[in-house]
Amino acid sequence: MMLAQSCFMNGLDRMPAAPATADESHAVERFLRETERRALRMAEFSTGNRAEALDLVQDAMFGFVRHYSARPAGEWSPLFWRVLDSRINDWHRRQRVRGRWLGWFERDDEDGDDPIAAAPDLGEPGPLARLADDEASRALELALRALPLRQRQAFLLRMWEGLDVAATAAAMRCSEGSVKTHLFRALANLRKYLEAHR
Amino acid sequence: MNNRSNEPSRLNGPSRLNDPSRLNDPSRLDEPWVERAVALLDESTDALDAATLSRLNRARQAALAQRRPALTGWMIGTGFAGAALALALAFGLGQRHALSSLSVPEAIEQVGDADALASDDNLDLYENLDFYAWLDAQQQDGNG
Repeated sequence: MMLAQSCFMNGLDRMPAAPATADESHAVERFLRETERRALRMAEFSTGNRAEALDLVQDAMFGFVRHYSARPAGEWSPLFWRVLDSRINDWHRRQRVRGRWLGWFERDDEDGDDPIAAAPDLGEPGPLARLADDEASRALELALRALPLRQRQAFLLRMWEGLDVAATAAAMRCSEGSVKTHLFRALANLRKYLEAHR
Repeated sequence: MNNRSNEPSRLNGPSRLNDPSRLNDPSRLDEPWVERAVALLDESTDALDAATLSRLNRARQAALAQRRPALTGWMIGTGFAGAALALALAFGLGQRHALSSLSVPEAIEQVGDADALASDDNLDLYENLDFYAWLDAQQQDGNG
């Protein structure tokens, strides 16, 4: 299956939306309905703004339906996340151009201290264990927003959406090794951030 | 590809954050706080307000509208041709119905009028109408 994923992702031929049968349309609609809420939250973590997140998700839906909905249903998930990831990246580029992007985590995204070496290997439940649900949700949201974009996407796609390494790499348009690195750093930074706020 | 359906196995297994090989297998990412984080993220999607859900629904429907077959050029042309044919048939049938609804003498009279108007002889009559009027007056004078 991994090989198949790599092949279709390397090719990534865009297929125009073909006139669909009712069954196909229902399948696409079901997929989008099952995915859209997580997509919105993912975009919201990146933008910090629900209206902008809704726009990004809508753009992603349009792009996905237009170019990829004619592909086999088994390929939809990484393709949809790829489209959304692309929209989120574009949004961040625009924000950087406008000088709005400030993230203290980003400064050491690629070149900072090695978070893997610094990561604690604790047997305790973890930084969210002592927080009530509301506090934990808020702390988690703040921590996710503070993460650099690539780390956040790796964490959300891999741990929340449940994509495997190959599909996450395809969605993020990077190597599988980069996914692992981003995820390592995301886990370490999230733990560090959440421990500081508990 | 998408392992959400296999989530229960994702967070079981040995816990060693400094073991890179575990990242190949989500089932080995068993940090309890990660499990809680995932649960909190799931809960956050259930807490979305009605306005947001409505907007998502509209966005989805608008995106899906692209998949519905659009009117192509040949479809539009065929539509126009069909409409023109229907109009012609309706006009023809209407004429036929108008004739058939007349009484026989009326119909003959109408057809006769049409024949009279179309006849070459009657064209001559119209062209020489003054002459025939003068001839008629002469005859009346002669009689009187």
